[in-house]
Amino acid sequence: MSALLPRTAAEDSLGVSLPNRRSEEWKWTDLRRLVTAPYARKIVAARDADIDRLVASSPFASVKAKRIIIVNGVYDAKRSQLPRGEINAVVPLADDVIVGIGSKLEASGVSLVFDGNADLPVEIVHVATGAAQQAIGVRHTISVAANAAATVIETFVGEGDYLCNTVTEISLAEGARVDRIKAEVESPEATHLSHVIATLAATAMLRDFTLTSGAALNRQNGTLTFLGENADAQIAGTYLLKGRQHADTRLVVDHAVPHCTSRELFKCVMDDNARGIFQGKVIVRPDAQKTDGKQSSHALLLSEAAEFDAKPELEIYADDVVCGHGATAGDLNHDHMFYLKSRGIPEPDAKSLLIAAFAGEAFETIEHEGIRECLSAYAEGWLARR
Amino acid sequence: MLEINNLHVKLEDESREILKGLTLSVKPGEVHAIMGPNGSGKSTLSYVLSGREGYEVTEGSVTFKGEDLLALEPDQRAAKGVFLAFQYPIEIPGVATMQFLKVALNAQRKARGQKEMSAPDFMRHVKDRAARLNVSQDMLRRPVNVGFSGGEKKRAEILQMAVLEPSLCVLDETDSGLDIDALRVVAEGVNALRSPDRAMIVITHYQRLLDYIVPDKVHVLSDGKIVRTGGKELALELEEKGYADYVVKAA
Amino acid sequence: MADLETIELVKDIDVDKYKYGFETDIESELAPKGLSEDIVRYISAKKNEPQWMLDWRLEAFRVWQNMEEPTWAKVSYPKIDFQDLHYYAAPKSTPAPKSLDEVDPKLLETYAKLGIPLKEQEILAGVRKQGEKSELDGESGGEYASGKVAVDAVFDSVSVVTTFKDELKKHGVIFCSISEALREHPELVKQHLGSVVPQGDNFYAALNAAVFSDGSFVYVPPGVRCPMELSTYFRMNAKNTGQFERTLIIADKGSYVSYLEGCTAPTRDESQLHAAVVELIALEDAEIKYSTVQNWYPGDAEGKGGIYNFVTKRGDCRGAHSKISWTQVETGSAITWKYPSCILRGDHSRGEFYSIAISNGRQQVDSGTKMIHLGKNTSSRIISKGIAAGRSDNTYRGLVSAHRKALNARNFTQCDSLLIGDKCGAHTVPYIESKTSTAQFEHEATTSKISDDQMFYCMSRGLSEEEAVALIVNGFVRDVLQQLPMEFMAETQKLIGISLEGSVG
Repeated sequence: MSALLPRTAAEDSLGVSLPNRRSEEWKWTDLRRLVTAPYARKIVAARDADIDRLVASSPFASVKAKRIIIVNGVYDAKRSQLPRGEINAVVPLADDVIVGIGSKLEASGVSLVFDGNADLPVEIVHVATGAAQQAIGVRHTISVAANAAATVIETFVGEGDYLCNTVTEISLAEGARVDRIKAEVESPEATHLSHVIATLAATAMLRDFTLTSGAALNRQNGTLTFLGENADAQIAGTYLLKGRQHADTRLVVDHAVPHCTSRELFKCVMDDNARGIFQGKVIVRPDAQKTDGKQSSHALLLSEAAEFDAKPELEIYADDVVCGHGATAGDLNHDHMFYLKSRGIPEPDAKSLLIAAFAGEAFETIEHEGIRECLSAYAEGWLARR
Repeated sequence: MLEINNLHVKLEDESREILKGLTLSVKPGEVHAIMGPNGSGKSTLSYVLSGREGYEVTEGSVTFKGEDLLALEPDQRAAKGVFLAFQYPIEIPGVATMQFLKVALNAQRKARGQKEMSAPDFMRHVKDRAARLNVSQDMLRRPVNVGFSGGEKKRAEILQMAVLEPSLCVLDETDSGLDIDALRVVAEGVNALRSPDRAMIVITHYQRLLDYIVPDKVHVLSDGKIVRTGGKELALELEEKGYADYVVKAA
Repeated sequence: MADLETIELVKDIDVDKYKYGFETDIESELAPKGLSEDIVRYISAKKNEPQWMLDWRLEAFRVWQNMEEPTWAKVSYPKIDFQDLHYYAAPKSTPAPKSLDEVDPKLLETYAKLGIPLKEQEILAGVRKQGEKSELDGESGGEYASGKVAVDAVFDSVSVVTTFKDELKKHGVIFCSISEALREHPELVKQHLGSVVPQGDNFYAALNAAVFSDGSFVYVPPGVRCPMELSTYFRMNAKNTGQFERTLIIADKGSYVSYLEGCTAPTRDESQLHAAVVELIALEDAEIKYSTVQNWYPGDAEGKGGIYNFVTKRGDCRGAHSKISWTQVETGSAITWKYPSCILRGDHSRGEFYSIAISNGRQQVDSGTKMIHLGKNTSSRIISKGIAAGRSDNTYRGLVSAHRKALNARNFTQCDSLLIGDKCGAHTVPYIESKTSTAQFEHEATTSKISDDQMFYCMSRGLSEEEAVALIVNGFVRDVLQQLPMEFMAETQKLIGISLEGSVG
């Protein structure tokens, strides 16, 4: 259908056609309509002071980590503590919209290879400076060798109106483990598109968490495929949205082999006119027996005009499985509020306590205590600014 | 301390009255038991005293320490010293019991113009009270009432009461769902809080609890009104004869 | 081990043994194959319809011509050649029967074979015990007078007989075929037809609007509690026929009606098309309970033949405090595409959807519901139980949405799937859209198989494997079974047994 539509300014400048709501996957995020600015790939010089200030604004600034700094899509050799590495030229899921935009933008980034247990987390801080409606393309690969383990943080901060398109590939060898934490706290005017593509060999383990609180428009895709048995994945996320923010997460978890476990937990807080969307699909292929797959998405709407849409999907072709999903949407529980107030806690405090507890349940999936604390602090700050 | 005068209450979205002119006076140091058949309005009374939404007072007044209680928000009532031990304590995921107690205690202290309690003082304050009520450290770390057994929930309610030190305690069917050992622990916890400047209203269907928490007065609530008042022996009489005399036949 | 055997048994389920797969040898009058404006005019003329009705059909036909067949459902089938179907088939010998005596005895025989209690004595004898009846009978306050069921039988495209009409008339209840309603109560039909499912609603609804040949019509006047269950019985008989019936039920203020729908079709090698439309309208304080037991021919074990069932069912809770409840038991059809929905327009209105969908052999089911919350304080409840066996695919697809003004909307959804054997698929595709913070939505779904522990436990108590499966499946669907009217419960339990024949017995 979209081929018949005239190109928009954004499509012209990006050199791609954007999907609209007629496409099932983009039903609630009509990219063609929502991306209006003529974002284009360009070289934007940044001032040192701006870079340093933005890097310091990462919610994880206090976490002891090795840092890689990406400024306007370009690896900053001076500030980075790790080398870039070589990125494989092959792009997976080439027909995916976000991967496609990345290719058009000639996205670059770093390649992280972990052979043993990394002692410190690696934080990749993505900084966008200066408006200029630039389109930033980023592409990273993370590979973890057999029985190795690593913690990788991806942080997105910035100022002004820009588009950030990022693709991260994760490949885990047998028994490998990665804890990936992403904080999307982009400029409130920005558009953030991302796709994380992960493959897990036997007994590998993925712990993935995403905080979504920045950007005006967010679309974050995740595609996870189990390639070996007894692997285990947990994908969690928290939305803290306000104003007219729009955030859409679409996850596809593909149980292609037996005996794997997947867990998804999303806690979405929407205030003002914000709109949160969660689409999760669990596929269990024929013969993927003994699959254990569960997903849950919970939405807390703090204002009458806030909105939440969900599509938790199961596609199951094997019988000996335990799969399920749960989804809820609503405002703060009135019984909870009454109980707290009956114990003497005034309404605003009671609200904050309950919201923080609601959002924080997803933080609990993170093992690194320091990172967890940083996220709690971020949530507290967000609540205080409400 | 508490003066309830000709109280009429209905549910906000129904026309049927639940309390139909209830009058009750409670002085400091007294323990009053309110007994009555199911549907007589016992729980409604507890919710109206603590300020739950959904109830509408159509007539009458409730004065607490000389102040109009009905004009206050639930948290203001708590700060003034009203405490309700819930029949069905609410589960709150994600909020640790210890954190909850601390926030509640300090919110009340702040409202009363007192200084917040320091963390070490608070720990001490909770620790021995918890031990007396058989509340483990593990329970204190867990989210409020989440995954607690029936007995644990009731013990946790009494612990909150002990920690917050209210001046009026309303116990709504605190005995329901408890076995005899759990009942004893809870009753001992309540008795330990009896003091000349603290009043209690014990709402119960059965006399059993009153063997342990001996009341000064017993009231029979039937069809939204107190229809009889007596001493502790009235509870025994009810146990023997049942509520048959007090159950209003539905028209 | 027990497991493997179960799977083997299920594989053997003999869909060819379709209990209702006989053909009735009645001469029928067929319209020529194909669809055109002329055919639409032919159907309208056959039924002596007024001009406005013909215009309405023609408009639908024009809309349909510009529409495309939907492809979003998780079903696949060879492309339907809409020009290779008959759009009208009527049993020749029954132009306008006035009573049972005038009905072709062969037809009656057919219904007798189907176990449908068409004759009044049969209804009285077969459904409830005499004692119960007399107790409930009489004129005391509009309660259910008895276990009587009034039946409108639709054979291929034409309503052949409606029972209990006079008794219903005494209460002011109109229950007749839609063709008769067009003649006798044109103003009611004109006012409501298409007001819930408009002509151009979707591809199949548009097709239905253009060519529907008959169906049932019900009007319950204000304050009347319909004194008996109303029922339509559909049967498709003629070859290469599409069946397009249309049902319209209007419950006026403060009324109540319970409606049952049952369907069967003979065994045939080629697939037959069924595209029905059901419109329900509940005004203030009214309640409609609509129950379906769908047992169209599912095709053989290799997927040959069977009914393509593309049905649009929608209820409009138009008045405050109105209620519409859908209960469905889906065991038949090669392809099921069906989403009985509720538009909760009136404040405090309520919608319910209870569903059992069993698929076996090569059946494909894509079914679910939509609950559209528009009014204040509306509530809805969805309980869906899907059972997939053989090589079938069974999808639940549902939408729950709360409009911005639907303050305090409430929904609870539970959808559970059970897989029997490892060659089938069970899918869940729910859409949840909440546009107001005051709405509370809760959705839960599970997919599992019958656990070895449950099987072992039952068998250790002396049940055979088949009995154990039957017991567990019956337990699995119990929440929904309980929603069926008494008259349907026993039949349904039997049907579940037949559908899972081989593993259940």
